[in-house]
Amino acid sequence: MSELAQYAILFGLTVGVLGLVLSLHALARVIGQSRAEPAKDVPAAAGSLSRDPVWVRYHAKYYGYALLFLAFDMEMAFMYPWAVVYREEGLVALLDMGVFLAILFLGLLYGWSQGALRRQ
Amino acid sequence: MSIVLVLLALAIGCYLVAVFEGWAVHGRFSLMRPAISALALLGREQILPRTPDRLFFETGPILLLVAGLLSVAVIPLAPGLIITDLAIGALFLNAALAYVLVALIMAGWGPNGAYAMVGGWRFLGQFIAYAMLIVMPITAVAMRAESLSTTQIVLSQAALWNVVYQPIGFVLFVIAALGVAWLPPIDLPTGGGDLAGGVEAEYTGARLAVWRLARLVIVVALSGATVTFYFGGWLGPWLPGWAWTALKTVAVAAAMLTLGRHLPRLREERYLAVSWKLGISLALANIFLVGVIALLVPI
Repeated sequence: MSELAQYAILFGLTVGVLGLVLSLHALARVIGQSRAEPAKDVPAAAGSLSRDPVWVRYHAKYYGYALLFLAFDMEMAFMYPWAVVYREEGLVALLDMGVFLAILFLGLLYGWSQGALRRQ
Repeated sequence: MSIVLVLLALAIGCYLVAVFEGWAVHGRFSLMRPAISALALLGREQILPRTPDRLFFETGPILLLVAGLLSVAVIPLAPGLIITDLAIGALFLNAALAYVLVALIMAGWGPNGAYAMVGGWRFLGQFIAYAMLIVMPITAVAMRAESLSTTQIVLSQAALWNVVYQPIGFVLFVIAALGVAWLPPIDLPTGGGDLAGGVEAEYTGARLAVWRLARLVIVVALSGATVTFYFGGWLGPWLPGWAWTALKTVAVAAAMLTLGRHLPRLREERYLAVSWKLGISLALANIFLVGVIALLVPI
């Protein structure tokens, strides 16, 4: 199967999911409709509207992890091609990536020592 | 043809997982319960919250289902019995599972409800904790197989399953998989006790049915991925290949569902700390160990 055909199948699956969801909604509609009643549409918060607006700026207390995550996520982009050719390249590949990972790991340790790895 | 068969197997797998989950949660084994609950969900009222972000609210469950289905697409049931045998299968699985986060944030943001939003943001923290522990063990698996194709990864385990070859990676992957599918004890976005359903709180009727289905698909996809990466996929004596994959997948799913029921729920803060301090160190050690073994031993 050609690459293009495979991705066409994946696209087809996505469209199929849309079809499935639409038919489920249609089925639910056939079974019965909801009645419009006052206060039925209040979001779950002990029956009253929440006092404060919900869509506000949120203090992401894990931002230290999030910054480190960016570095590690970039590193993974290099790891995948490296992993595939690893056995061909042998010891050189181990040392190359070893140095890279060691530097990255030192970065993690440094972040840890500076308190990046806690809720703040 | 193989597409229809895999989708059929997926449907049966989802149903079985639903039966097991019912068994684990309610303590009663009932083969009919998931069908009845699905019908009941479709028959219930569909309430739209007061001032929703309609686009996010509707897209959340659909995106979750798409993410689950696309990750199932690269999991082989048997040689040739796979939806798309991509050369970058393992990477594609990651990419598809990344959309679980997007779907949960959308579902959290969409309804404009406090509990849902808290659940959504919590899952973002949970994502930062588990993401690295999904990708790093997979890298070690790819190092042994010299390929990212899931079929090749299974074939590379002919001599020895990866669960023995790289047990550290296996444990990390399974724990991270619990995080992806927000199974207990890492079910922070829906947190039974404190969030009143969390991201699921505002969903009713058909939307909730789609959401629950998507979650089941993701559980099946993750146990399928565990089997592919660590339990040698279709490899096994006597039985045909697809039967082995199915048996192993159901067994892993059942183990994942029961495991967490006996542990207290992890707080997000603790989960982040454990995965970054202990988990990432172990994952890097795992990559190094597998690297050394792969160079020394030809299998």
